[in-house]
Parts: sequence; structure tokens; C-alpha cells
Amino acid sequence: MDGYTGSILRVNLTTRSTTIIDTDDYKAWGGGHGMGSAIFFDLVTDKTIDGFDPDNVVTIMTSPLSGTLTPGCSSRTEVQGIGVQSYPKEWFTRSNFGGRFSAMLKFAGWDGIVIEGASDVPVWLDIRDDTVEIRNCTDLSLWGTDTRVCQETLWEYVTGTDDLVDWYTANSENGARSTQLPAVLAIGQAGENLSRIAALIHDAGNASGQGGFGAVWGSKKLKAISVAGTGSIGVSDPSTLINARIEQKEYACDVSDVLETYTSVHQQSAPGRMVIWELVPFFKQTGGKRPQACMGCHSGCRRRYESGLGNEASCSSTAFYMGVKKNEYQYRATDLLNQFGINALEAHYMLEYLRALDKEGALGPGKDIDCPLNFSDYGSWEFVEQFLKMIAYRNDGLGNDHAFGNSLAEGIVRAAGEWGRLEDDLATGFLPYPYWGYPIHYDPRAQLEWGYGTILGDRDINEHCFYNIYRCSSSQYYGGQKKLSPEEVADIVMDKMVPFQDDRAMLDYSSENMYSEHMAKLVAWQRYYTRFWKQSALFCDNRWPDFVNPNAPDMIGSTGTAEPTFYNAVTGGILTFQDGIELGRKIWNLDQAIWCLQGRHRDMVQFSEYIYSVPFTTLDKKWLGKENGQWNFLNVSGRTVDRDKFEEFKTLYYQLEGWDIETGYPTRSTLETLGLKDVADELELQGKLGMAS
Amino acid sequence: MDNNRAKKGKEILIMKRRDFIKLSGVAVVGVCFNGCDIGPIGKEKATWGFLLADVKKCQGCLSCMLACSLAHEGAQNLSLSRIQILQNSFGKFPDDITLVQCRQCVEPACVSVCPTGALQPDPDFGNVTTVDVSKCIGCKRCVNACPYTPGRTIWNVIDNHSQKCDLCANTPYWDQTGGPEGKKACVEVCPMGALTFTLVIPDQESIDSYNVNLRDLEWYKLGFPIF
Repeated sequence: MDGYTGSILRVNLTTRSTTIIDTDDYKAWGGGHGMGSAIFFDLVTDKTIDGFDPDNVVTIMTSPLSGTLTPGCSSRTEVQGIGVQSYPKEWFTRSNFGGRFSAMLKFAGWDGIVIEGASDVPVWLDIRDDTVEIRNCTDLSLWGTDTRVCQETLWEYVTGTDDLVDWYTANSENGARSTQLPAVLAIGQAGENLSRIAALIHDAGNASGQGGFGAVWGSKKLKAISVAGTGSIGVSDPSTLINARIEQKEYACDVSDVLETYTSVHQQSAPGRMVIWELVPFFKQTGGKRPQACMGCHSGCRRRYESGLGNEASCSSTAFYMGVKKNEYQYRATDLLNQFGINALEAHYMLEYLRALDKEGALGPGKDIDCPLNFSDYGSWEFVEQFLKMIAYRNDGLGNDHAFGNSLAEGIVRAAGEWGRLEDDLATGFLPYPYWGYPIHYDPRAQLEWGYGTILGDRDINEHCFYNIYRCSSSQYYGGQKKLSPEEVADIVMDKMVPFQDDRAMLDYSSENMYSEHMAKLVAWQRYYTRFWKQSALFCDNRWPDFVNPNAPDMIGSTGTAEPTFYNAVTGGILTFQDGIELGRKIWNLDQAIWCLQGRHRDMVQFSEYIYSVPFTTLDKKWLGKENGQWNFLNVSGRTVDRDKFEEFKTLYYQLEGWDIETGYPTRSTLETLGLKDVADELELQGKLGMAS
Repeated sequence: MDNNRAKKGKEILIMKRRDFIKLSGVAVVGVCFNGCDIGPIGKEKATWGFLLADVKKCQGCLSCMLACSLAHEGAQNLSLSRIQILQNSFGKFPDDITLVQCRQCVEPACVSVCPTGALQPDPDFGNVTTVDVSKCIGCKRCVNACPYTPGRTIWNVIDNHSQKCDLCANTPYWDQTGGPEGKKACVEVCPMGALTFTLVIPDQESIDSYNVNLRDLEWYKLGFPIF
């Protein structure tokens, strides 16, 4: 099949050796997450190790579509391994990031990188096509640098110039040239100092944030991977790929005829609209700017600026310090966050929690929690710089040893535990961390598929498949001249949700339906869709799935036909959309098996206490659902998750999956139906095989 | 697609060069074309058209490069693309991106230095300069002769011959008709409308004459400056 290079680079940092894994051995998984999970399952014999164990394996995987014209897909990279951020258990987890790394890795001839072992001295990986070197950091003084300095140093080292304006020879063997800076994935000081909320950073603003993989790299003494690629990626049907890509322009923002919705609520499909400070008039950057896209994307969501500040930043990183006294501080704080390599959403909620503690009078010298931050300076540059340095360096942010910084570097949940506040603050929601030690993203009491999907998995899922439906009411979302009724929205979406499309109650978010088998199907469909199409084929979360689309004929998006069209044009395969969903189910089952081998049991699948006891409140969001038998947008304020009924939901969900309803363990029949007999054998060997009900 | 949107398309009207000359006279000086001052038409053997770019509208996605290599080589390969975008993630707009396309020079150095005549105007495709790979002996003089940085004539390390932008006159892996009067993969694919095509010869003495302003009111609506 085309789209693959045929080789996966296996790097053992302990022995400082590299070998090659034949991609064919894992091609049945598609790419990305599927391959990563399968490789992890095969290479990590003891799944109960923690994330800092040298035997932990980190996979960095591409997809057959990486580096191709496939829109909103060409340059996502999937990272997996045992993370160190989740709480109370360090789950096998995932994260992915955009930019150009996966494409460049493919051009260099690699479908992925597998990192195992740990070096005794800091090293970086120098990949130039098929030439791979493990180099010491000392020669370039890389260890101790932030992610920007690290990347710029490696760019200069590889290209031979600090201002690339011409071709350079990237392959010394065949003389192949490139005008492209090497793609570098690096950790900053936070990763070096093993902060559990440390990210991997690529270019100015691409972050593999969740899971704390920056710290995992730090524990392996791996500072960076640099890739320069000059080779080709085979495409089975080039003409179909080009034409399908051009056709997709009809589904994206037409920059020559901007709909009103682009400038308001349909922001995610318009150029540069994932930058939150640009959505708030007071915070906008003035001066010159452009939209900025990952490689191959038809709908770039970030920006670059005349100021050079905040380049390529997006989403939560662009709103993490909005209480600034001067706008420039937010832009600079975002850059510093990425330079240190710190998880943006965690930093935001950590800071909000600390501010709440300060208001309560709990923080400060001689108080319950000895904190060196002066909250009267909140909003200043000095305040945020000190705050971020505390996390990155595990000290007081001013260069002096301090236990407070050490606590913050562990992530706020573990810090709250050290301060003796965790149980109470999770019970009240004062610390809004509803699942696995991750901060609230979208609320389990309202956006059910998000909450359920997260607690059934390993991390804040961060999957916006259904988000656009619920973020606003119909009149706001489908504003302008065209509107869709709630029923029309539900029909468009559910028609695409094969193989469950005949269940017409899946999108009913009403309190009467929130624990039903219909809801179980919604959750399952999203787990399958994302596991394959988003995290293995690596279609971007910001752009896919394409459900309701104001650009499209009858507002019906291209999901269901577009994904397999691109996949097959590249690979030459005959995969259907439903085939992909089924493959996603297989991957999801493998992940569940890994979690069970780590120690997962049904009893552990519980939200934080406040989700069950504190009513959800919202100002304006409405969720699709049925009211008196009719589809409508419902306000679900005042709702909690009923503990007993959630247990009933879990039973329904496990039955749907074919898992043991007592333990949550996958059963042999389910696994063997999916072609996972070896996984069933391992579960049985470890006493974790489920019993059929 | 919404029919109204199709009608509202703001694509630059492409006329055959002979029609343009008929309409405007053989010598047109100082024509204002799409907001850009363009030099005189003349030079009967010049290519019938030229790619223009608005680097301030480019989002750096490299889709044009991917489309170019795919249409010409049947594979994705940035190093074999005949249009190149250099960018620095940390750079300051607009200097963070350099977009370079073949200028289809009226007096092309790559043609004059070729010892075998492998580079010649193709009369079937509006005189665009193409490389006859069967005549290419691999001396790379054309690659080195391009006076612009980075050079626009490139060396194909896989098939061992030189190549340059042919305005998609010969795209064996794309089923559309290209050339000056046909479709150009890079233009068709660009999601930002940052590439366009003109029949008018850009000022050959100016380094900036191939960079034009394609930003309009719609661009402004999206929150980006026009000037």
C-alpha cells in the first residue's frame, strides 16, 4: 500500500542503538494511535510500570496520510506511552500535535519513532533521511535551553546557517537539497526537571500537552528529535487526491466570500480563528498578521504576527493569562509557556485555583500554604514569569529553592494532595478537576459524551466532534439567512453515525436519556471514530468530523465520504467509512486491555465527587435533546450526574462493548472477534480476562 | 456549493494572450492589473503567462508545494516542488515567509546555458520553458545559472535530471489540462487565494514585481489587514 515508508525507527537510549521495525508488521492498524498501541503492547511486557520507568516506551507515529495533500490531516503526530500526569494512576495515554513534524518524518523515510530505555547523559536525535545519530547535548549546550533556543540551535546546526534563505544539502549521500528547516520536537526546562505537566513542543506553538510526555522525555534524558527529510511519499491515485482536495475547498471557509458565521460562531473553520485573544476586541493584536496553518491544511487556525509574539499559538494557550495589565503580557506569557514546555490548560486552571486559594487567605508566608507569589501583582509580567518559572524549575521562580514550586511542578491535583486539600476541594468543585486528575474542559454533567468518554478512557479526551452543536443555541449557531431546526441538525449528524445510524435517540442529551443505551452508542461511536479516523489516520480534531457545515450543500458536511476518499486515494485501499469505525473499535478494545493490565477496574471509573453532588450551571449553552417528544436545544442547568444511574449506564456501556459488566475487563469472545486473540491470552495470563455475562 | 458564491468568485479573468493584445494594443505600458503596476508587454517568445503571489496572504501550509510534486512526480516530495516556501515559525510577519515561484524569465538564464538545448520554450503550451529530460546530461548548469535565491531550476535526485515550473503543461499524474491557458495545481489548491496568474509580463528588472496584493475586503472581514 502507498502512503507508508515501510520503516519505523526504533531507538534504544540505554544502549544508544537504533534498529528498524517493518511497518508491514503493524499496517493492519492503519497508522498513528493504532500502530502505537500495538507496538506498546508488544514491547512493554510489564504494563504495571510507571511513566518514569526506563522500560516505558514512547511511540511517535505518523499516518499514511501524513505529508500528503489530505486537508486538515497532513501533519498531526500521535504520541503514546505511559503518561505521568493522570491521577491517581499513571495511565497509558496519548496526545497529538500539529505543525510539520509527521510530514517531515515521512519525507525522511520513517512511519514513526519508538523510544525505549533511558540515556545516562542528555542526548538528542539527529535524523536526516535514513541517517540517524544519537548525539550528546553537551556539544551544542542544549540541555537547559528553552524549546525555542533548542530548535534554533538545531536548525543552524543542521542547515549550516542561522538565516536559511536558500537550498541546503540535507542528504549528504545523494546530495538532495531542501529549503525547509528541520522539524524539531523538543522539551523545555519543565520537561528536563520532570514536571508532570511538561509538554513536547514543535515550532513556535505546537504542543503535545496532555500526559506529561515532556517529563517522560526528561526522565529518558532525551532533549529533542530533529528531522530533515528529502524523500518521497508514494500516493496510489494522485489525480483523485488532488481533485478531492480541491473539492474540499467547497467545505471550508471561502476567503473570497466570507459568510457572516465565519466572523462569529463558526469560528473554527475560518482562518486564524483558534486564537482566543483575537476573538476579544480588547485583546486583539494590532499590526500585521497572517493566518498560519499546519502543513497541508486547507484551514489554518493560528496566526503569525508583525510583533513576532504569540506566533502559532492557539486555543487555551492564548487565554491562559487574560487578566493582564497590558495585552503584550498575554502574548509573551503564551510564548514563555511554550518555551518552558508547560501544558497550557493545566497552567490556566492551576493559576485560577491558586488565585481562589489566595482570596480564601490560604496562601502566603506563614499561612496554610507557604507561597512566594504576590497576588497583588497578578496581571503583571513579573507575576506570570515567576509563576511559570516555579513550574519549570521547581523553585520559587526567582532562582531559590522552594517547596511550593516543587509542588506545582507535580501538577495542581498532586499539589492539592500535598496541601491536604484534595478530597475536600474535589468534593465541592473548588478544584474543578472532574476526571483522572485533568482540569475541566467540557462538563460531564452537560456535555455527556465528553465526560463519559473521558472517564471511560485515560485523559480529557479533547475531542470536539459534537462540540459545535452544543456550544450555542440554534439561533446563534445557524445565524444569518440559513437556519437549521434542532431536528435537522440531529438528522444530519446521526445519519453519519454508522453503524448506529438507525438509533435516532443518540443525540438526546435530556436528563431522561443521559444514562440510556442510546447515550452509550453515542459515546462508543465517538470512541471508535476518534480512535481510528482522528488518532490513527490523524484527521485533525479542529476540522473533523465534518457534520453540519454552513458552507456545504444543504449544510450537510463531508464526513462519511471524505475520510475514506482521501485514505484510499493515498493508500490504494478500499476502506469504507464503517471499516474505519470498526477498526477504531478494535483499537479502543486494545487500549482498554492495556488499562486493565495496568490495573483498571470498573470500580475505578468514577468522576470527582462534585460531579455527583454540585449542580451544573451555565449562562447560555444549550444541548440538543428531546422535550415533549420534539427535538430542541435544551438548557441543562441544575443537573448533576446521579451516581446510581451512572453505574447503570456503565453496565449498559460494558454490555454494548462486550466487556465484563462486573470488572470492565474485555472478554475473550469480544477480543477474538476483533482478531485480538493474543491480547486475550495475555489478559488471561495476568488474571484480567473478563467473563461473559 | 452555494450558487451565489460561485458567481461571486473573484478569480482573475484569464484571457488568451492574443486576445489581450488585440484588446489592448501590442504595447501596453503601465497597465494596472489587479492593483499592481505591471510592465510592458512585448517579447513574442516570452511565456504567455506568469504566476504571481501575495506572500502576505500565504498561510504557510505548503499545499502548493505538495500539489506541485504530486501532479508532476506522482508522489509527495517538497524537495521536488517547483514552487518553494521558506518559513520561520518564530519570524515576524511578513518576513516569516518567503514564497518563490519560477519567474518564467523573458530572457531565461537557465535556457541560455544549457549545452544540449534541453530547456526550450514549448509552443504547444504558450512558450513556457520546459525541460526535455531525454536531452538533459546532468551538467546542472541550469540549476546554477538561475540568478535568483533560492534557485528556481531544481535537480531531481531521484530521476537525475533538472526540472522547473512548466505552469503544469506536463502533469502526468493529474487529469487536468495545464499550461498557461489551463489549470495550475498550485493555484487551484491554494486555500487562501494567495496565488494568481497574469498574462502581462511583470517588470523583469524588479525583484518584487511577482509579488502582488490580492487582499480585499473579504480578507479584511476575516481580521487581517489589507495593506
